[in-house]
Amino acid sequence: MGQEFRIIVLIKQVPDIEKVRFDVDTGRVDRSSAPGETNPFDLHALEAGLQIKERFGGSITIISMGPRQAESSLKDALARGADRAILLTDPRLAGADTIATAKALAATIKKLGRFDLILCGEKTVDGDTGQVGPEVAELLEIPHAAYVCEIREVTRESIKVVSDMGDKYLYELKLPALLTVTRELNSPRLPTLKGLLRAKRAEIEIWTADNLLEYASIDQLGFQGSKTRVTKVIIPGVEHRKGIILRGDDAVKKISEVILREVLRR
Amino acid sequence: MREEVLGELRSIVGMDWVITSEDAIKPYLYDETPVPIRPRASDDVVVVKPGSTEEVSRILVLANKYRIPVFPRGGGTGLAGACIPTISGIILSLERMNRVTVDVENLIAEAEAGATLRDLMNAAEKAGLSFQPHPGDEGAQIGGLIACNAGGARAIKTGIMRNCVKGIEVVLPTGEIAKLGGKILKNNAGYDLMQLIIGSEGTLGIITKAWIRLQPIDAAAMTIIVPFDNREKALKAVPKIFQEGIIPLAVEYVEKRLVERVAREIGLRWPCNSGEYQLMIILSEPSEEALLSTSERLLNICESLGALGSVAAEARREQEEVLKIRSEIYTTLKPDMVDILDVTVPPSKLIDLIRAINEIEAKYGVYIPVYGHAGDGNLHIHLMRWNCWSEEDYEIVRRTIYDIAIGMGGTITGEHGIGYVRKKYLESFAGGRLLELMREIKRIFDPNGILNPDKVLP
Repeated sequence: MGQEFRIIVLIKQVPDIEKVRFDVDTGRVDRSSAPGETNPFDLHALEAGLQIKERFGGSITIISMGPRQAESSLKDALARGADRAILLTDPRLAGADTIATAKALAATIKKLGRFDLILCGEKTVDGDTGQVGPEVAELLEIPHAAYVCEIREVTRESIKVVSDMGDKYLYELKLPALLTVTRELNSPRLPTLKGLLRAKRAEIEIWTADNLLEYASIDQLGFQGSKTRVTKVIIPGVEHRKGIILRGDDAVKKISEVILREVLRR
Repeated sequence: MREEVLGELRSIVGMDWVITSEDAIKPYLYDETPVPIRPRASDDVVVVKPGSTEEVSRILVLANKYRIPVFPRGGGTGLAGACIPTISGIILSLERMNRVTVDVENLIAEAEAGATLRDLMNAAEKAGLSFQPHPGDEGAQIGGLIACNAGGARAIKTGIMRNCVKGIEVVLPTGEIAKLGGKILKNNAGYDLMQLIIGSEGTLGIITKAWIRLQPIDAAAMTIIVPFDNREKALKAVPKIFQEGIIPLAVEYVEKRLVERVAREIGLRWPCNSGEYQLMIILSEPSEEALLSTSERLLNICESLGALGSVAAEARREQEEVLKIRSEIYTTLKPDMVDILDVTVPPSKLIDLIRAINEIEAKYGVYIPVYGHAGDGNLHIHLMRWNCWSEEDYEIVRRTIYDIAIGMGGTITGEHGIGYVRKKYLESFAGGRLLELMREIKRIFDPNGILNPDKVLP
């Protein structure tokens, strides 16, 4: 018997992107306008973890950073079959850009000790950068593959994956390693109703910045540790098409007027 | 159509809203009725798109003057050919009349006939309310939904269109405009003509506007799939759930091989792989706590009746995916479908009905896909293209199923209506004096028989 296969899945709660409203003046997401949900890509990462766990046994630990309400996403992950869930929540961690987020997540992973595989979604639907996963791998100094659309082979020592970077690449990575996965990788399972009801009552472990100070200094975390700033957000307006029917003798004249006006406007 | 009539129509609705070109008329000729049973649409039709109730009224006066048939048309999502113009006439599309306003204080939406179900749902949501029933395709229009008294999967909790509509504005075939009911919840003044118009499939009047009851938005919803290894166990769980005081938003009976096939064809995966016979149950509750306690009770009931491992979707996206698979059953089957029956029996008889369908399958050696609204006894039975089957063979099976349903105290159509395709069967269900009464009513409303002729009455 070797050691337990330890999988870590990084997830984020995002606003339901189809319902959320943006405040055009401040350029901010109005989080109260839409309920939170687990970033859809992360569910594919969790599913990959569950399939590997089904094969090798072991455990899945979920880590997320966000406000307290993100607990519901962690409970959802427990319902689907994860074993442990940790929420990093602290005003000192808020306002983090991708690197400060990766610092906090990497510090958490270091603190947890040995692991074999880290899985995350290819990107989040709100931030859309796709950077946090690879950054965590760099901070942990482990190999990573991004946009993984197929897992060919897993052993206790290595993993063979297909990465879809426009063209497809076959990689073999030595474990421990980190993968960011695409939707094509699998179909996430639904939780069992029993598991879901059990998870609703589960206590989520809450960690604050204090838990991380062994592996990250406070000025590397949150807004303070962020190297980038959002200065302006532009939301493209929606132009509605309009139909005008012109008829009669002066139709041609009117059409040319409209065309000229529209061309000049641009 | 005579140029003189077209001229008069143009003077009523304006030049742009009288459509005569063949290509532009094409999308208005048929609905979703399976091709093998739908009637042929007439080539000699014109599409007219009025912009107001007054215009509808003037069109009907004109149609009476020239005795021209008028075929009212909504979103074209019907399944019984009720809007197909089988003879030369005017197709009256209400699509331009699509305003919806919401009176939050009275929880009532005022919707014009051409607004779609989606428009109504969006308007309600914007006002912080909801239109909870889901009586069909979201592209269906309010006028059509009321005219065919649509039902849908959520009828067990929300009722059918008849229960939600509190008032209608209707243009009678002779051109008079009548307002029946309104933003009122009680109305006992005389015969209820509104209820007579609801479900009359465009034969007694043209609905131009409706006052529709809305509900507060439920805070929490969950879609649960409960699998069983045995059909009887699955269907027996349904009355038990109700008896225990749980009223789900929907209880649908599906068979795994069918939903798995549909899911595959639309590039999705049916999320429950145990048990061939499954209930898809949607719970919708005013709070998260209520939802949890209800789902816990539901789980206990189903497990005590032999349910296998139930799965649950909570995220909106995942619930929608399950629902999408369920609602794509019809479209997936349609290319190979000859007819879709929607017989309805007392809920307790649903098991017997399905058993009878299985016997028919065994007798003829065919597969008859079925699924249905298990909560209200409404079963959708699909007659498919089977090798070497003639129209007479299908007719025998159809008649057999109708007779079985009627024998169980049921009806030949629970929600799709009579339209054109089921006219000839109405007699066996509402024969003799009842049919005579229906004919008399039609004659009183529409003395010249101009409104949606060739429909409902044999």
